[in-house]
Amino acid sequence: MASRMMALALRHQPAASKTSLIVRAAHSGSVNPHLAEKLEKLGNRDVVGFGWNGEPTYYDRPDFPMPAIRFKENTPDVLALRAKEKEDWKKLSIQEKKALYRASFCQTFAEMKYPTGEWKMHLGNTLIVFALAIYISLWMAAYIYDPDPISFDEEHQKAQLKRMLTLEVNPIHGLSANWDYENKRWKK
Amino acid sequence: MLRAAAGQLSQVIRGSFGVSRLAAIGAVRNSSHSTETDAEFDARYEAYFNRNEIDGWEARKAMNDLLGMDLVPEPKIVIAGLKACRRLNDYALAIRWLEGIKDSCGPHVDTIWPYMVQEIRPTLTELGIETPEELGYNQPELALKSVYEL
Repeated sequence: MASRMMALALRHQPAASKTSLIVRAAHSGSVNPHLAEKLEKLGNRDVVGFGWNGEPTYYDRPDFPMPAIRFKENTPDVLALRAKEKEDWKKLSIQEKKALYRASFCQTFAEMKYPTGEWKMHLGNTLIVFALAIYISLWMAAYIYDPDPISFDEEHQKAQLKRMLTLEVNPIHGLSANWDYENKRWKK
Repeated sequence: MLRAAAGQLSQVIRGSFGVSRLAAIGAVRNSSHSTETDAEFDARYEAYFNRNEIDGWEARKAMNDLLGMDLVPEPKIVIAGLKACRRLNDYALAIRWLEGIKDSCGPHVDTIWPYMVQEIRPTLTELGIETPEELGYNQPELALKSVYEL
């Protein structure tokens, strides 16, 4: 109830005071524990952007290519490269440029979009389940179910058909409509 | 009698929904019909990247936004983005930006991407930026170990 009252109160606040309320909530020590855990795991990586939901996490996604944090921590060699990056980029070697890329990002687009081949495992597992289902149904038929009722044999089925014709079942469009009662045969 | 009851009812409904909220819905609906032309859109993003005081947060946000849209940005926006990366001293961001542009070409990458490289080539030479192909990033370079085997 209290949270509902809070939400109602917030809705009627102008935008500026809403923000300050959230900031105050953060300062009063009630930081979302989920976020606190993320901040703890951050190490000394730079937080460089918004990412996709504002959380300081790294993930390679083609639809949001720029994550909120850099992939690697600021180790001395990365920092040395960063200092060199401030000068003319033509002075950087290809290896240094690649190292800079890998310091900011884990995978290139070609790597993140490369097929994993995982579909083969899923197809294989599905077929294994199909095969098991077939074997189980065969085993059930052999050991669990009763034998078919006696009325399933051909003699009983013929007797049933004869009785249906005698009763004139479905005489307009159905079974008996196709039976020629005078000549005792199926209509042509 | 019926009319009186209906009038009462409409008062109740209006009271419970709140006139202001209905008005707000109208405003949101109207705003979704953007009247911005393509030229204005291009100019807006070009001007955004060309701002001198742009920071890394803003550049990344605009790039993520642009690469999430159903379009391939005009070469002049790409160039402005590359120059923003240069001012921010972030070479990795420039390469990621180019990779994102190439990815957003989708199935037409064979026609759009060569045109894009041709258009942005002077800027690439000027700033010393390689295309992803020149870094060998058009093919996978490193494999990632499965997280279940770490």
